[in-house]
Amino acid sequence: MKAGLTTSVILHAAALAFGLVTLSAPEPLPPAPESLPVSIIPVEDIAQHDMGDEKASMKEKSAPKPTKRPDIVADAQKIGENTVDTDAPPTPDPKPRPVEEAAAPKPQPKPAEKPKDEDVPKPVEEPKPVPATEVAPVPKPKEEVKPDPVKEPEPKPEPVKQPEPKPEPQPKPEPVQKTASIEQPKPDAIAEAIKEQPKEDAVADTIKEQPQQEEKQVELPSAAPAPQSRPKPAEAQTAEAPDHKQADKPVKEASSKPKSDSESFNEDKITALLNKQKSSGGGAKRSTETAALGGKTKTGAKLTNSEMGALSDQLATCWSIPAGMESGSDLRVSVKFHVDSSGKLDGAPKIQSSSGNRPFDESAVRAVQKCDREGLVLPKGKEDIWSEVVVNFDPTEMGM
Amino acid sequence: METTALAEPGVQLSIWSLFMQAGWVVKLVMIGLLGASIWTWAIIIDKTISYQRMRSSLNRFEQVFWSGQSLEELYRTLADRTTSGMGAIFVAAMREWKKSFEKGAKSPLALQTRIDKAMDLALTREMERLEGRLGFLATVGSAGPFIGLFGTVIGIMTSFQAIAGSKSTSLAVVAPGIAEALLATAIGLLAAIPAVIAYNKLSSDAGKLGGRMEGFADEFSAILSRQIDEKVAQPQHRAAA
Repeated sequence: MKAGLTTSVILHAAALAFGLVTLSAPEPLPPAPESLPVSIIPVEDIAQHDMGDEKASMKEKSAPKPTKRPDIVADAQKIGENTVDTDAPPTPDPKPRPVEEAAAPKPQPKPAEKPKDEDVPKPVEEPKPVPATEVAPVPKPKEEVKPDPVKEPEPKPEPVKQPEPKPEPQPKPEPVQKTASIEQPKPDAIAEAIKEQPKEDAVADTIKEQPQQEEKQVELPSAAPAPQSRPKPAEAQTAEAPDHKQADKPVKEASSKPKSDSESFNEDKITALLNKQKSSGGGAKRSTETAALGGKTKTGAKLTNSEMGALSDQLATCWSIPAGMESGSDLRVSVKFHVDSSGKLDGAPKIQSSSGNRPFDESAVRAVQKCDREGLVLPKGKEDIWSEVVVNFDPTEMGM
Repeated sequence: METTALAEPGVQLSIWSLFMQAGWVVKLVMIGLLGASIWTWAIIIDKTISYQRMRSSLNRFEQVFWSGQSLEELYRTLADRTTSGMGAIFVAAMREWKKSFEKGAKSPLALQTRIDKAMDLALTREMERLEGRLGFLATVGSAGPFIGLFGTVIGIMTSFQAIAGSKSTSLAVVAPGIAEALLATAIGLLAAIPAVIAYNKLSSDAGKLGGRMEGFADEFSAILSRQIDEKVAQPQHRAAA
């Protein structure tokens, strides 16, 4: 027995070893292409998408009632977005005002002018920017500032006087400095500012060199007609706006005005890039086409084969064919009947095409009436199609 | 069935890796079937050899027996040796014969039945020796496929549980588990098929050998019966002489 056992073990070991070598993993099959899911849809579902208006006249393509946007104001004459029809142009948005307020600080225009002066009288200018910073906090009399630039264009011819007033700019900054240093009595500062403004008008204009004046001329026309509105030309804004923004840090501005121009954090550009269209959901069940004949729903306006089959199956159970007329005869009758939305028979069934055999025809009518008493099962959502049904009663087809 | 093995699409499908991936029940079934197969083959080899030996020994004994040699002499040579097959039957019959005659048996009929019984006993022992362990082959042959199937069912069961857990039904996920489960059935068949074939062959061989020994026992019984008759008659001759 030992010999048998040892030989058996050896044989098995050899067979297993051989099997492990030769019966290793089989070659994997080449990957099969992925199968595409296919679903079968009855043609009716696509071909009979005919939602439309039930009362409109028939057209090639059915369409529901077109959508109309109601007039806000009846018989409006002017074009605009107001709720009232007025002759006046629409009032601008209130938004620009804060921008004006920011522009208000009177002293700022002065430092702006002064740095320009720097080009000519360099030594004198240095103190000026300092007062500007101090003055900046006093932003009250806005209105007064605005008129100034408007007035400026008038004195433009004066620049010829430039050489004479050169010394004058120096005294002006001094009072400004004083006010800045005092700071406490705001009214004083305002008063001084008011006083200064006229001076400036006279003096600053004279100080300005001709090229600078030209720049101002560019600014002024833009500023004058629409001071409040935001979208001034970029140049005009850069001259004024940066001043307002940097009112807190006017020292830097004075020297870096050109820089601010180049850096220009431009709100307008950003607002221009913003998408102003409002988000919207799906459209209403309306079209822009004129209404045309169609059903209430988008589903097929015809009973599918399976629905027809279900109906004839129902009727077949109710139908008792007169004796002797079952399958051998080729009697056929089609019955037309109406069903209301609750699924009950509406009126008596009518024989559309008779079989020529009266008892046979009547048996079909009785079948419909009997099924109606027992309750017809109707597919939901197709009530308008169900309202009129024509069924062919044929003993051979109805499994009799 | 390890879920990790399921999750990987590129599972190794060699037989060894299939075995290693299997769950412990399936592994146990596979190992048991492998052991059964080894034991089956051990029995097959052992029986084939022993039947071969038995056949040749029967041939040799018959040759010696029918060579005209004195039965007494033959008995003397075989008595002190361990004998098998016909030799054992012959020795058992001769021993009974000798015992009875040495004591001077009176009834020849009783002696005849005693010798027959002794030979039957020896024959049954020999047949037992020949057919021993063939039952194991029959068991493996009939139960092996079922045991393998059990392993497969368990393997597929756990495999499906793992698939349900992984929430994927692609064939790549299902296949490895089923392949390794089927390995159990394959091993079961591998053990059962040779067992069935060998059982049929060996049992028919054993039947043939048993038939030969039975034939010899009958023949020897006839010879001894003749001898008894002669011995019963002889005393009268001796007395006459």
